[in-house]
Amino acid sequence: MSAVAAITPSQLSLKDLPWQIRWDKDRCTLCGQCAAVCPMQTLELGTFRKRIVKVPAGLKSKPENEHTVYYGIRQRTAPHQACIGCATCTMVCPNDAIMPMHSDEKDKLRMHVNLGGQPRTRGGRRNDSGSVLDQIKFIRISMLTDPALDSGRHEFDLRTLIGRIQSPAEGLATFKEQGWAPAVREIYPLMIGSMSFGALSPNMWEGLQMGVAYLNEELNMPVRMCTGEGGCPPRLLRSRFLKYVILQIASGYFGWDEIIHAIPHMKEDPCAIEIKYGQGAKPGDGGLLMWHKVNKLIAAIRGVPPGVSLPSPPTHQTQYSIEESVAKMIQSMSMAWGFRVPVYPKISATTTTNAVLNNLCRNPYAAGLAVDGEDGGTGAAYNVSMNHMGSPIASNIRDAYLTLCKIGKQNEVPLIAGGGIGKNGNLAANAAALIMLGASAVQIGKYAMQAAAGCVGSESDRCNVCNIGVCPKGITSQDPRVYRRLDPEKVAERLVDLYVSFDTELKKIVAPLGRSTSLPIGMSDALGIADKDAADRLAIKYVV
Amino acid sequence: MQNNTFIAGKENGVRLESRILEERIQDAVRQGARELTIEACGQHCLGGRLWMAKEEPIHVTITGAPGQRMASLGVPGTFIEVMGPASDDTGWLNAGAEVVVHGNAGNGTCNAMAQGKVFVGGDVGSRSMTMTKQNPRFPAPELWVLGQTGDYFAEFMAGGVAVVCGVDAIDQACTLGYRPCVGMVGGRIFYRGQEQTVSAADAIHAPITDDDWTWLTENLKQFLNKLGKDDLLATLAVREEWHLARAKTPHEKITRKRKSMSEFHAKVWDMELGRGGLVGDLTSVDRSPIGLITTGELRRNVPVWENCKYMPPCQASCPSGIPVQKRWQLIREGRLAEAVDLSLEFTPFPATVCGYLCPNLCMEGCTRGLGSLKPVDAKMLGKEGINAHPPMLPLSSDKKVAVIGGGPAGISVAWQLRLKGHKASVFDMDEKLGGKLQASIPANRIPPEVLAAELDRAREVIPHVRLEKKLTREDFEAIRKDYDFIVLATGAQRPRTLPVPGNERLVTALDFLKAAKHGDGKVGERVVVIGAGNVGCDVATEAARLGAKSLTLIDVQKPASFGKEREEAEKAGAQFMWPCFTKEITAEGVVLTDGRLLPADTVVISIGDTPDLEAFPENIARERGFITVNEVNQTTDPHVFAIGDLVKLGLLTQAIGDGRRAAQAIDDIVAGRRPLSVTADMMEELKTRIEYMDPGNHMSETIDYSRMNLAYFDPRLGGFESLDQCAEECSSCGVCRDCGICEAICPRGAISRQALPDNEFAMVCDNEKCIGCGFCAGACPCGIWTLIPNTPLG
Repeated sequence: MSAVAAITPSQLSLKDLPWQIRWDKDRCTLCGQCAAVCPMQTLELGTFRKRIVKVPAGLKSKPENEHTVYYGIRQRTAPHQACIGCATCTMVCPNDAIMPMHSDEKDKLRMHVNLGGQPRTRGGRRNDSGSVLDQIKFIRISMLTDPALDSGRHEFDLRTLIGRIQSPAEGLATFKEQGWAPAVREIYPLMIGSMSFGALSPNMWEGLQMGVAYLNEELNMPVRMCTGEGGCPPRLLRSRFLKYVILQIASGYFGWDEIIHAIPHMKEDPCAIEIKYGQGAKPGDGGLLMWHKVNKLIAAIRGVPPGVSLPSPPTHQTQYSIEESVAKMIQSMSMAWGFRVPVYPKISATTTTNAVLNNLCRNPYAAGLAVDGEDGGTGAAYNVSMNHMGSPIASNIRDAYLTLCKIGKQNEVPLIAGGGIGKNGNLAANAAALIMLGASAVQIGKYAMQAAAGCVGSESDRCNVCNIGVCPKGITSQDPRVYRRLDPEKVAERLVDLYVSFDTELKKIVAPLGRSTSLPIGMSDALGIADKDAADRLAIKYVV
Repeated sequence: MQNNTFIAGKENGVRLESRILEERIQDAVRQGARELTIEACGQHCLGGRLWMAKEEPIHVTITGAPGQRMASLGVPGTFIEVMGPASDDTGWLNAGAEVVVHGNAGNGTCNAMAQGKVFVGGDVGSRSMTMTKQNPRFPAPELWVLGQTGDYFAEFMAGGVAVVCGVDAIDQACTLGYRPCVGMVGGRIFYRGQEQTVSAADAIHAPITDDDWTWLTENLKQFLNKLGKDDLLATLAVREEWHLARAKTPHEKITRKRKSMSEFHAKVWDMELGRGGLVGDLTSVDRSPIGLITTGELRRNVPVWENCKYMPPCQASCPSGIPVQKRWQLIREGRLAEAVDLSLEFTPFPATVCGYLCPNLCMEGCTRGLGSLKPVDAKMLGKEGINAHPPMLPLSSDKKVAVIGGGPAGISVAWQLRLKGHKASVFDMDEKLGGKLQASIPANRIPPEVLAAELDRAREVIPHVRLEKKLTREDFEAIRKDYDFIVLATGAQRPRTLPVPGNERLVTALDFLKAAKHGDGKVGERVVVIGAGNVGCDVATEAARLGAKSLTLIDVQKPASFGKEREEAEKAGAQFMWPCFTKEITAEGVVLTDGRLLPADTVVISIGDTPDLEAFPENIARERGFITVNEVNQTTDPHVFAIGDLVKLGLLTQAIGDGRRAAQAIDDIVAGRRPLSVTADMMEELKTRIEYMDPGNHMSETIDYSRMNLAYFDPRLGGFESLDQCAEECSSCGVCRDCGICEAICPRGAISRQALPDNEFAMVCDNEKCIGCGFCAGACPCGIWTLIPNTPLG
């Protein structure tokens, strides 16, 4: 930056940026790899002038100036090119000469990410690493009081039910009359939440689906993955793997004509249909896949022309009230598969969750309710929606479950919890806590990206550029130059690792509770927290 | 001592507590009993802990019903024979006792046994032979079972041998019960029956070797003998009915037996979905894995060598459009004469204007200024213009152009037209062409011989039609008929004045300067100049030369004068005052609206001149006293162009630039490269388009300053000693200076210099080597290289 030119308010110095590049001149070989790989083109070759003033000892002759030039790595400071801390440079540096470091104070860039009056949009997650789920402890450890189980030795059958479960009386009546019974699926309680083909790269999506298929077919773990709202590749629709898939329908209705065309050719019914009304990461806001991400492939799957922006509005256009909306959507989606497939809505955690739930309880076709908490992730959203909108999942799911208990339907309408599970790496503990608070199953997204694909995003606002197609790991880009960095096979392998290790950890938690064949759904007497207010709010034990 | 000590588990028909019975057994042994018969009644831990016998063997026969943990904590030398069944945990923590149970044994038989042997004549319950140990100091523990085992056999078994004969088993497929061997880390299990599933993670089947079989049959004989069932040997000693399961080694445990994902991908995934997997039917894009660093078409960004794509800032800043940078380049190449001559293609006055009179906007625009470096000295180069040789002057066109006004603008357009082969005649009232250059520039600003030489050079090739009198509309119409094009260049001749009382006392700056230059100027001692611009400064300087003692320049705002003119005036002692608003001019001087009187003998008004437009017809539109033109200085009469101060008051270089632009447009129209156009609806002056300053249109916009790199230059350089030094210090913005830095800096050696015909060259990037790091762009002093996104894929 020229020192003599007039500065503008948004001209920032390195100190003002959230991430600063530490570069070691001695180690650098000027191989160019950091600059070549930098997703933001933050890094460039710097040409530096070095001045040495040579003053002879004893001042025997006149001092002399010597100017030399050397080269190094320099960091651009323009807001749109600021370092995102992804450290891909560090990854490619042959000599460990470069690494982004987080600023030691709050950056000033945040005040300049609205150039042109456009507020910041980004991908990722809420920039807050706090998690009440992490604070919950499992305090009921049976040693002598109940038959304590050995997680390594005992056989466990950790499955859950998704679908409307009739009450014993209803069930008997149905049986007696040979009547219609709602479809119920027995699945693994850790589901992969909705991430669309489009938000994710083809390699990422295929890797996840392949991993899911492997878990089902090789390891007998009935894991299910939701498509998100981006349609579903026609081949998958016509394959037996479809039974591992939950198809999502949302306000954009992308790809649904392809699904309808595929129905007559389906070898298997899908696991379920999820109707998306809201998303935890950006409650009350819709989605937008920018035109430049809508290449031929995405367009083909979504059933749109390439190169147009694809908005998913915050609301479904033809639905006006809870009663109408939910009833209408559940009816029509159920009908598509002859009432053989469970259909449930997904909403973002909100104070109105109970209203929705009450409504669902009165609808015999409603297969459950998925609630996505504020810590959910997304491929693209307004920063303000991500950071400040929505409700935490813990109390929301708890309220919902206690409502079910109050009306006696706690075993009938499964709740699926999502949003921030494993945000600090404690996947099994968070999942188990939510299950014991009342969830029948939990959904993960970001965790799968981090564990299965090496996503480097974090609550410290690291990376989080899922929305602009430059994902350094190739997870959220539609550019083959980027997404080919990701090998679907390796993603699948890591997904399998994730599930197998999760399974062990979950057993470590539920075995001491004496549970091996049924999930401890709503077993809140096993939960404790060292926060009185949280304990009261969640109706669990206060322990110190 | 009795040979056989009998100890009853009941006394007086009442069962003895385990503790009491234990005390009695221990007492008996302590007193020397080595053969005991115990009639048990469910007491705990019978037969264990008989270590007080030291090495002497003790034989314990148990009748009745022993309780749990019979033979637990057993030691070597203890031999126990249970005549009936045994309860749970028989042999628990056994450290050496040998036990025969003729009946069944309950759950947990041999749990945590470390040494000793347990022979069971019936079945054992669940979780038997679990958690066993094997201490290298002692023989390994053994469990022999004639029948079958319960579920969860051998969990966490860490050593020893279990032999399960499967006699009278309910199901030959399940002689080891359900889920045996979970967590097994050591030891071996021989069993009879069908081969059974053992915990795959922990145990594995192994072939029975000849040595194994020898060991097994010999010990089997003894086992049956202990049970008194020797006759079973023939039935049991059938080698093919036996199986051996052993613990996996730690090494075997880490070898995963799962199907590899690549096999699953190929044989399951793609088999079901089809070739290319999930989207193989929708795209042919190669999706196979690649690394982070790529070359060729897989680079995200590619470097481009944008030589001569953008105009250097010096050239773009020059209203005359002189390619300043190119001239320095020629000098760097040792072609000084060409660099000097080149100027005449752009201006007839390279020395006069560039060398002396111009504020040198090229230097203001010089990239070096951004780095606080001294701009390359264009004035020094300009002065060389006196030696410039005019180019060949063809006269190929039959088109006639009339230029009205022989000042710098008129001479410029005529000169340019002449260079392009058109005949342009200049109509002017003065004796010699030159206009204000000739008439009113003070001599201290430029050596007269320089000006004279350059004017003469122009006059030689430009026909001069001397007008007898001021041009009238009739004259104009006549010229309009005779000529194909007219260029108006009459300048701003009419001085502006102030509508204040006494304004008849004012001397106009133009008259004053003309007279001064002509040698008949007169001035009083005290001079006030109203209007402190550059012309006002010239007036002050000349007034001082003519003898004025006090010089005051007043203005209504902060004076706009600058540069050489201002410096000279200040040197002459001029005082600047502002804001001053003139109320009237009196014999005493200038009276200001605030009542002050500025005493003056001579008051010169120098608040600018305005064009005199009387001679021009109404169809030539004008606004606020100036003629309206389009981007090529065409008026609303498309055959008539207007340039210089007629259009907008400006610098000499701007007037010269106007001339060049108009000449270019006329030449283009004549050659059919540009339509004549209807210009009548043109409402206002349009912005000058840069492309008309660059006839080849190679460089459509100015290079962005950020592309150049000034780190290569010495910031302490105070001035330039020679043209060569200037040329070296020029960053050569936008035009490759062939320094070779890009070749040197490229980490992959991808860039090379390619020689082209006519001494041309190009820097070329080998795409198969290049990784798109942009180092070339980062290092280039001239801003030629840039990194742009590669063509989208997919």
